[in-house]
This record gives sequence, C-alpha cells and structure tokens, in this order.
Amino acid sequence: MVWVLVMSRVVDPYGLVLENEFLVAYIPATEKALVFRVRSRINKGFERFHYGPIPIPAGIPLPSYVGGSITVPSDGVMPMFSFIPHPGISFPMRGAYDETDMWYMPSDYRDRLFHVILDVTPKWLRIDVTIPKGVSQGRFQKDKITTGIDRIMGFTRGRIELIHFPKIYYGYRFGNDSNLNVYTGVSFTYAEYVVEIPKNEDLIFNILTRNISSKWVTMPINIYDSAIKSALLEVYGIEGFTLYPVNARDKALQEYRSLIGSAKI
Amino acid sequence: MVSEILTLKGESDGTSASGDFPLYSDVIYRGSPPFTLPTSILIPPGLKAKIWAKRLSAEGETTFLIYYSKDVTVPSPTWELLSAEKLASKGELTLEKRRPLIIRSLTGKEGFKISWLQPTASPSKAYIELEVELTDEE
Repeated sequence: MVWVLVMSRVVDPYGLVLENEFLVAYIPATEKALVFRVRSRINKGFERFHYGPIPIPAGIPLPSYVGGSITVPSDGVMPMFSFIPHPGISFPMRGAYDETDMWYMPSDYRDRLFHVILDVTPKWLRIDVTIPKGVSQGRFQKDKITTGIDRIMGFTRGRIELIHFPKIYYGYRFGNDSNLNVYTGVSFTYAEYVVEIPKNEDLIFNILTRNISSKWVTMPINIYDSAIKSALLEVYGIEGFTLYPVNARDKALQEYRSLIGSAKI
Repeated sequence: MVSEILTLKGESDGTSASGDFPLYSDVIYRGSPPFTLPTSILIPPGLKAKIWAKRLSAEGETTFLIYYSKDVTVPSPTWELLSAEKLASKGELTLEKRRPLIIRSLTGKEGFKISWLQPTASPSKAYIELEVELTDEE
C-alpha cells in the first residue's frame, strides 16, 4: 500500500500563516482559543530582520545562577551564569506606538496581530516570557512549582514563537548558563496580519476540532492574569472559544453563535 | 533543536612549555586588554559539545591535548584526556572529522579545555582553532 501524505498549505516556509488561512491562538489557562482568519499580511516577503543585541545596557546587575549578581560588562553582552529577572525586557523601537516595546499595540489596532518567532544568538541561551509583563507563566503540577529560565525546566533555548495580542505587554527573559560572557543577537521572523474572527460557528467548530486545517500556537499562558482577560475583552470582545469534543457539536455551536455576536472584529 | 557552532581560537604565551589555551571566539566578550579569557568551556546542561575540526599550528614541537572534566565548577577539576595530536616540529595540521568528538553535559558541570605541551628547553608559540558545536541533537 502506498500512502500519500497530502499537506494543506496553511503556513509558508517560515511557519507564518498564509493569506485566507486560519490561525488559532490557544490559551491553556482558559481552555479557550481565539480563531482568526488572516485577511492579509502587511510584510509579506519581508518577514525576517535582525534586531541587534538583546537590549540590556552596560552596568546593570543581573542575578546569577551561582548566587549573587553579575554586572553587564557592555551593551548587549550576557555575562556568564546570568539571567534577566522579572519582569523581563521588551524590544524598543523608535517611532513605534510605544517606543519601549515594538510589539505592543493598543486596543484600537485590533485588526492587527503580530506572529513573532524570536531567534537568539548564541542559540544555547535560555528563553521564557512573562505575560503580561512580570507575570511568570511556567508551572509544573498545577501551581506546585513555578518554572522558567531561573529553574531547571520551563524554558526553551534559542527560539520562541508567540502571538502578540494587542493591549498586553510581554516580558522576554534570557539566561546564559555557560561560563562565557557572550555577545548576543536577536533576529525576528514575524508577520503583521490583518485578521478577523470568522463569523460562522460551524467553521469555528470545524477549525477547533481540526476538521479544517489551521495553524495552532499554544500560548504560554497558564496563569490567567486579570490584565489578559480585560485586554482580550477590550480588544476582541471575547476571551476565546471553548474547546469542545466532536460529540458536543450542538452545545459548541450555541456558545459560538453567542460569542460571534460579541466579537469586535 | 539547539545548535550553535563556535570557532574557538587559542594562542599559547610562547614562554611556557605547558599550559591551557585561553579561548575566544567572535561571540565571546573579551573586554579591554589585558583580556580575561576562559581556559575551559562549561557545557550547558542537556547539551553536548561536538568537536568537528581541529586546526593546529606551532613554531616548534608541540602536543595538543583536549581534556574533559565531569565537574569544571570546582577549584581544581579532575581532567581526563580525550584527544592528543602532536606536531613533531614547526608546522600545521588540519583535522576534520566526519564523526566528531563528543562531550555530554549530563549534570551541567561538564566541560573541556585544550592544553599545549612542549619541550621545556624550547617553548614557542602554538595556536589552535576548534570548530565546536553546542547542540541538543544526537
């Protein structure tokens, strides 16, 4: 028997969603997902750019994995055994809506969505993110243990993929658990999508039960901070669509129909 | 997948018959002279160091030794010899490996260093370049 694998083309080679395809941003804390149709991509063909060093200035002390603190010797250099503490850093950009954070957008930018893939050099640097900025999201065994770059688990190395919702500041944290003081570099692969929430409950159900192909991004949101809730309600009018099993179609459609009526985009 | 390839460079002082190479690369911050450079590389936990290539050169007879240690965080690590190459006289040698030397970090304390050894009567300059990949791949 010959198996032919047919892959739907939801994403481009960068992993970014193609026009007229669907993006699902799943929030584990609420078991809800925001479903978007990508109407357009503003930066198609220009997805990658090199931001520069991690924006940490010379002279600031960073906590150390081996105790105490260690001073950043030069702009953008991560000292040996150091990590960036809470709340994490943002990426400034001159001229951006908020010049301290290039990925932040206000609520009236609700038809825009950033899909961001961050690559850091050197690739062994640990990465985690606080959402909203300052709220640690890594957990193990419910709330028994908080995880993250300053623990033995709860971080990734070298790359992280996120959806940046408007109205929420994110804090990026990096850790260098080598014995080398290292120059750093950050590259972004991103899409600025023009999005809408589909207005058909059947379609949403089929996307969330994976009968229709879509790109899923599971957000590292395990603690549903009130700032996230209020931002989603202000931006989208809804917190997301609850995931239902395939045999709960009627219940799901009823709920989705109601939510679609509240959606702001 | 994590993969970062470093070209580690080292240069002996030319006056000592033996010693550990101070190591640097384009991503290692050295500061201003006099440089304070590491003589050993600690491998972050869960990663492994793959040494893919060695380029050795010296002004005279030199043995190049790669050591690993299960714990480089203690003041006096115990070093185990992993690899040795000898130049019998002034010259250079390039060794590229289809299968790399591998040093695993199982505890987060493992590391490696590169040393030189020369006849005590005639120490001279020695240089080394290593292509080292830090990766979580098998």
